[in-house]
Amino acid sequence: MSELVLEHVSKRFGGLKAVSDVSFRVPSKSIFGLIGPNGAGKTTVFNLVTGVYDFEGAIRFGNQSLAKKKQSQVANMGIGRTFQNIRLFQGLTVVENVLVACEQQRKSHLFAAIFRPPLFYRDEQEMHDKAVELLRIFELHEMADEPSTSLSYGNQRRLEIARAMMLKPSLLLLDEPAAGMNYGEAEGLKTQIRWLRDEFQITVVLVEHNMQVVMGVCEEIHVLDHGETIAHGTPEEIKRHPKVLAAYLGEEELDEEMAQSLKAGELDVVPKGEAPKEDSP
Amino acid sequence: MNPWLKGVLIFVVIAGVSVGAQYGLPVLVTDTAWRQLLLDTLVKVIIALSLNVVNGMAGQFSIGHAGFIGIGAYTAAITASHLHLALNPGVSSANIPLQLSFVIVPLSMLTAAAASGMFGLLVGLPSLRLKGDYLALVTLGFAEIIRQVISGTSATISPLIAKLGGVNGYLGADNHGVPQYAGPFWIVGVALWAIIIAWRLKFSGWGRALRALREDEIAAAAVGVDPTRYKVTSFVIAAMGGGIAGSLFALAHDGSPSVQPATFSVIASFEAITMVILGGSGSVSGAVLGAVFVTLSVRLIEQLQGLPSVRDFVRENPKFDLNALRMVVYAATLIGLMILRPSGVFGEKEIFKPKRRPRPTGAAPKTAPKATPKTEEAS
Repeated sequence: MSELVLEHVSKRFGGLKAVSDVSFRVPSKSIFGLIGPNGAGKTTVFNLVTGVYDFEGAIRFGNQSLAKKKQSQVANMGIGRTFQNIRLFQGLTVVENVLVACEQQRKSHLFAAIFRPPLFYRDEQEMHDKAVELLRIFELHEMADEPSTSLSYGNQRRLEIARAMMLKPSLLLLDEPAAGMNYGEAEGLKTQIRWLRDEFQITVVLVEHNMQVVMGVCEEIHVLDHGETIAHGTPEEIKRHPKVLAAYLGEEELDEEMAQSLKAGELDVVPKGEAPKEDSP
Repeated sequence: MNPWLKGVLIFVVIAGVSVGAQYGLPVLVTDTAWRQLLLDTLVKVIIALSLNVVNGMAGQFSIGHAGFIGIGAYTAAITASHLHLALNPGVSSANIPLQLSFVIVPLSMLTAAAASGMFGLLVGLPSLRLKGDYLALVTLGFAEIIRQVISGTSATISPLIAKLGGVNGYLGADNHGVPQYAGPFWIVGVALWAIIIAWRLKFSGWGRALRALREDEIAAAAVGVDPTRYKVTSFVIAAMGGGIAGSLFALAHDGSPSVQPATFSVIASFEAITMVILGGSGSVSGAVLGAVFVTLSVRLIEQLQGLPSVRDFVRENPKFDLNALRMVVYAATLIGLMILRPSGVFGEKEIFKPKRRPRPTGAAPKTAPKATPKTEEAS
């Protein structure tokens, strides 16, 4: 069971209501999109689910509540995530970045590290093999021993996904995985996300501005604006939803002709052109 | 190599070197001052290695390491002197032979490590909420409180603490001096083990998680590393290392017969930080090198001052204050080094690279579809 359910979830930062009474259900093993203009509260929702902040309302994963759970506890329940502004461990190599995510899976701990029984070496080898295998999936295995900072932008994004996958998650939260990718890379990402879901039988939630990716890969989409739900549905429904179009383009800019072509699906919905800005951590 | 065999081999080699040091050092280095300097350097190596766990690997800026060293020194001195009176009554407390030390030294180190570790836990807990300068202040405050309480408590306030001797220092349970049980065998042996343990900690999952936490706490927590556990553990381990170094310092052969609070002042903490930063924060080799450099350089300049030619020079130029100059030279060296190598001599690197594990072979593993442009339909 890897279903994620949010019920009347709210989050306030001082006077700002970042997320306001949001409810949705992410079916098990689906690819789910969470979209909205900048500042809509998408990343905040991720931060609430992963325990960065506490929240009002209820969030359940499978049949467990995520209320008052620490970040590391949430991670060890099988929820992996990536970050909007890449957060790699810069002083560590590529493979070490992935290996950090397996601390809970290893059988040898601090004492074993000091006394080094055969178990330690077996464990280390096993984890290393797993990490390299994951890197191979994202075609990063050749760079396993390079410093993570030496990777290109796209590769750093892929490394973040590999690191999250090392947790053996059943739910993967991807925060703008296609940011900074060109058309070809974004197309590749689409197939990779679908493949990840099929291969590892995981649920994927996607925060993304790139509509090529969102509309192409998501089975269900939830749209937020100013912290509130404005729409929910399949990509086809979302593409035609007047509130979504208004939120993205501005009501005054939405002339009749454009609205028509958007509804006909001839034009991809793209955000207003501003660069993605930092929501939170 | 078989891990067990490797472990036994390391044990045998270290035991051999330690025994060799115990009996060889007095022959090789006949001058007591130099011998003391060498052993002192090794104790400083343990100090630097332990501080490196929290300052280098965990990236928590602790400037109160002297507090843990002091607690270790006092605890070991108390334990050893009581055990000395109980087990070896009548034996002089100066340079006690090795065969009498096999119970007392391990027990003293153990109690010292336990006491320091407990205080490490105490100081480590606020580290969860405090960062950077604020944490540094807490650790500094802690070390100063320990020192002030020991040196300033009179018998009227607390007879128990006053037994530690106040500013005059602790002279053992019978006031005949702290028994000097820790010969070269113990100091060399423990220092070598400290290097190995520091290395193993760094190149283990635990060390990796700690370094990840230092780089990015939120990202580390997001992959299941519990910041609380790792940070507090790092504090406890560093404190225990400091405590063990303190115990060796208190019981060392040819050392001072008393444990004095002034030894564990802020200056001692800063000396430890200098060693870690100079060698390279987070580097085991760096911590060792830093400790050797800091301890030896000041003493070397001192030794140079003692040369007849230098003495003649000073006699002819009475205005020339060599003692002041010594610190100027030392400080200038440090500044120069930090300008040339801002992240320390080694950075986070090591002299030897840890062995790379062989890549997994086996059958061709699964690979995701290539990240090449592909149309919807094709996939």
